[in-house]
Amino acid sequence: MAKRGVVVLLVMAFLLIGVCWGRVAYIALIKGDEYKTKAETQQLSVTTVNATRGTIYDRNMNVLAQSAAVWLVHVNPSKVDNENREVICNGLAEILGLDAAVLREKLIANAAYGYLEVKDEIEYEQKTKIQEFINNEDLYGIVNIDPDTIRYYPNGNLCSTIIGFTGKDDDGLAGIEYYYDDELTGTDGRIVTAKDGSQQPMPDQFMTTYDAQQGASPVLTIDSEIQTILESALQTALIENDAQNVYGVVMDIKTGAILGMANLPNYDPNDPYTLTAEMIAEIEAKPEEEQNEAFVEKQNELWRNKLITDFYEPGSVAKVFLVASALEEGVISADETYECEGRITVNDRNVKDYNPVGHGLETLEDLLVNSCNTFSVHIATEHLKKDLFNKYFQAFGFTERTGIDLPGEGDPIEGVMYHAPETFTTSNLVSCSFGQSFTITPLQMITAISCVANDGKLMTPYIVDRFVDEQGNTVVQNEPVVRRQVISPSTSEKMLTYMEQVILRGTGTNAYVPGYRIAGKTGTSEKLGKKEKVYIASFAGVAPADDPSVAVLILIDEPGGVNYSGGVIASPVGGQVFEKILPYLGIEPVYTEEELNNMSSPTPEVVGLQTAEAEQQLQNKGYEVRVIGDGEKVLSQSPEAGRSIMDEGIIILYTQEGVTSAKATVPDFSGMTVGEANYYASQNGLNIKITGSTLMTNAVKAYRQSEAAGTQVEPGTIVTVYFRSDEANDDVVAQGQ
Amino acid sequence: MAQQKKRTKWEQFSRLFLAHGSIDVSFFVIVLLLLCLGLVMVYSASYPISYSKFGTSTVYIKKQLGFAAVGLVGMLFISKINYKRLKVIAAIVGYLGSLVLLIAVFFEPSSDDIHRWIYIGGQQIQPSEFAKLGLILFCAYVLSEWHEKTVSKKELQWGRKINAFFRVPLINESLIPIGVCGGAIALFVALVFLESHLSGTVLMALIGVVMLYLGGVRKKWFICGFILLSLVVVVLYTSTDFFRGYMVERIESWLDKDADPLGARWQTNQALYAIGSGGLFGTGLGGSKQKYLYVSEPQNDMIFSIICEETGVIGAGLIILLFCLLIWRGVVIGINAEDRYGMLLSMGIVFQVGAQVFLNIAVATDTLPNTGISLPFFSAGGTSLVIMMLEMGLLLSISRQSRLRKGTVSKSSAKRIETEET
Repeated sequence: MAKRGVVVLLVMAFLLIGVCWGRVAYIALIKGDEYKTKAETQQLSVTTVNATRGTIYDRNMNVLAQSAAVWLVHVNPSKVDNENREVICNGLAEILGLDAAVLREKLIANAAYGYLEVKDEIEYEQKTKIQEFINNEDLYGIVNIDPDTIRYYPNGNLCSTIIGFTGKDDDGLAGIEYYYDDELTGTDGRIVTAKDGSQQPMPDQFMTTYDAQQGASPVLTIDSEIQTILESALQTALIENDAQNVYGVVMDIKTGAILGMANLPNYDPNDPYTLTAEMIAEIEAKPEEEQNEAFVEKQNELWRNKLITDFYEPGSVAKVFLVASALEEGVISADETYECEGRITVNDRNVKDYNPVGHGLETLEDLLVNSCNTFSVHIATEHLKKDLFNKYFQAFGFTERTGIDLPGEGDPIEGVMYHAPETFTTSNLVSCSFGQSFTITPLQMITAISCVANDGKLMTPYIVDRFVDEQGNTVVQNEPVVRRQVISPSTSEKMLTYMEQVILRGTGTNAYVPGYRIAGKTGTSEKLGKKEKVYIASFAGVAPADDPSVAVLILIDEPGGVNYSGGVIASPVGGQVFEKILPYLGIEPVYTEEELNNMSSPTPEVVGLQTAEAEQQLQNKGYEVRVIGDGEKVLSQSPEAGRSIMDEGIIILYTQEGVTSAKATVPDFSGMTVGEANYYASQNGLNIKITGSTLMTNAVKAYRQSEAAGTQVEPGTIVTVYFRSDEANDDVVAQGQ
Repeated sequence: MAQQKKRTKWEQFSRLFLAHGSIDVSFFVIVLLLLCLGLVMVYSASYPISYSKFGTSTVYIKKQLGFAAVGLVGMLFISKINYKRLKVIAAIVGYLGSLVLLIAVFFEPSSDDIHRWIYIGGQQIQPSEFAKLGLILFCAYVLSEWHEKTVSKKELQWGRKINAFFRVPLINESLIPIGVCGGAIALFVALVFLESHLSGTVLMALIGVVMLYLGGVRKKWFICGFILLSLVVVVLYTSTDFFRGYMVERIESWLDKDADPLGARWQTNQALYAIGSGGLFGTGLGGSKQKYLYVSEPQNDMIFSIICEETGVIGAGLIILLFCLLIWRGVVIGINAEDRYGMLLSMGIVFQVGAQVFLNIAVATDTLPNTGISLPFFSAGGTSLVIMMLEMGLLLSISRQSRLRKGTVSKSSAKRIETEET
């Protein structure tokens, strides 16, 4: 009995203890992860070390966007009592420039809570003062300072639609800031310490530090200098043409790198939520219930990089692709000619040229120079035909995204942006031949134009050249990507010769820049689906024509002035941009004899010389000289030495203390030819600087001047006068003509 | 015979009062192993809480080392004593002494209803630890002594009458020892329960049941008793507030695993986190994080969870294996004990250890509601360790006089036990 009893008890004891061990195994192995996670969650105290957001640089390492350390002051209202409330309110109000009474109210209202933000984005100096205040008044745990960061955009509006901006939480909301948010953000570091059950740090063995991985800094292909040139030219064009929007892109042809890209109006990324005055007026005109929605809509419009998101009908610029395709396929030869009668009939549909008389017998060069619609229609319908047209339409990249590294690139949708090949009618082909009835983005356009100029190689446009780390070491280098060879180098060469003629004697003369060989094409298209007749004027150009390195595209959207054709309003902008960026890019001008005649040169130094001697010297050089006063020596000259004026310009010499000449009145130069402007300037004792197209001297007229008419200025002052040809009124076409 | 006459007084004393023969070496080694492992784990588990409470990490381990030394000396001393000679005195002194201590508890000032400790010379003493040994000594004596005497006819008559009444044989031995033992057990169980010491109550009852069971009480009594007790407990638990608030709370928090995570379930949850963190191999000795003031009483009732965290399922398994070996070896000593008293004494002690190991681990693994039962050799605590060592001493003493040691094969000894019973 006893032995059996013992055995029973023994078996029971072992069984029960064995069950317990089973429970241990179950808890440790099956439920282990769950319990371990719970244990770690309560044991670990994690302090985040914020990674600094990367800096955005332009190609010359100028800062476009940068994060800076700021601080945030907050109070624990639940710890504020009657004794210290006054001290806190007055102290903080004084240091931070706040209203003590308002702060007091807030503190009382939030007395049940543990957190009240008093002010964010305070700078180092204020932070130091707050720190001292906390120390002096012993307000630890009541008034607190937390590190915070702020994003600065030192250039304001410049380049804003590309850079984008960040939100309150330092996350990118638009542009590069959004597209490369992950790279820019980096990885926050962590200091993981173990804490014991009473929330105190555990002894040292359990401390792990994970260093913050600072955000990478993108170096853009954008050149601030070029961007500035582009934006200032566009800004003038926006105002002068009373346009809705103006767009411009400058692209490195050989690589596809974007050197400058702007659409105006734009915004200041330091304050992205403020709309332009026009927009606000427009919103306020709406009924109140629609205003909120309108506000959001306008903000999105302002922030959008329309060069890549919005589609437009390219108009006559597209003829470049038509001719290039036909030449490449060999369906026409380089010496193809056509008799333009001003109209052409295709399938019983009459297509009129904008020139009703007709251009007469034309070569391919003339097609582009005249921007002839009938010849284009002829090539498209008789030679290239639908299939080949579509083949090249696709080859030039109009049916796909360009793949630029910017957010929100518009996706060309078949049947919406362009005709589906299955339903492509001859009528469609007719319209397409001169760039109507399909839409592309400005970026697609400049990419395709660059392709034509780049020996036929279609590049992927890109905007980030490389990423660098904090030490400036390159971590990622972007390489140019050739998407495909669309046309042969020889076709490319032919096209450039034709396009150069467009600038020299065609619709693009206003883009002519002395000393440089520019090739280009202009276009004007009517915007469809609008109540009134509104247009988009465009200019696409490349330079130098013999070895193109840079392409410029200018679009003027809905110009409100009398002039709306690309040749008249877009080309001069293109010319101005080329004029400044080509020397900047180190491309030396080569002047023709004729161009040299119109050149201005620096004035010589004559101050200190005998009056007579100075006068003689200057007159010998061809300057007109006016001596003021009776002094023997020249005391000062206007313009001073080294300023560029025309060779026949006027120089005023002051020879006597206190004797000055009467002020000169700036005449109204608008509508004058170069000769007339020179004459009137000289008459009024002023110098002029001629800018813009000076080809076909008789046709060009002044349309803008740097000093407003009627202004009183010092005699000898140099007034810049802008000229353009109004006869470049080319090729306005609209669907259905 | 001539030699016998020459015996000195010392030799007489030695023959009468000292245990001769060699101790059970494997049992001794297991005890030493458990003691050493226990000390290591007490240090590992206690230094954070010691540092936090006292500013130095060695408070608990120093005390525990002291108790271990006292316990070791006590064990060796007891092992040398002939247990048979002192059984009457041991039973009376053990039982009455424990009784006094258990009652003395109620005179200690206490903040709430919980009376568990008394203070003697600044030393905290847990009377229930004494009581367990006292009860075993008492029951072993009564049950063995009375059994060996001839059952009187009068008693047998009463027994037969009762058996006839129930129509099944419930009793085949004297009612008196069973009644005496039952009463003694009931008194202790009641007293410990009044101390609000639920785990002690359960343990005391378990020891009583083991003693009675091995003492020869029929199974049917236990079945009847168990059913009756269960009914009483259920009725009391559901319809009255007989059970103290904290007992109810612990049972409820055992049933509802999401209840009161910062209060009633805190200790259990933290123990589970510790076991879960250990995994198969553990975080290594000293590697526990849960002992940093998460697991409450990491050096005491919950030390097993820290063992699991630091040594994993494997380490915990090895320690459980050691305990099983100890129990196994203890049972072997008991079976081979020279007399019935030795057998009952060994079994009582061995199954007390087994019950404590089971209850402690079951609590740590949330298998049973949370009650404070110490893990033998591991939990820090002077009374518990010293008493445990003394009990081991008793087992060693029994092993010295084992029939095994005298060359008798276990088979024949088993037979002898069987003969004794019939």
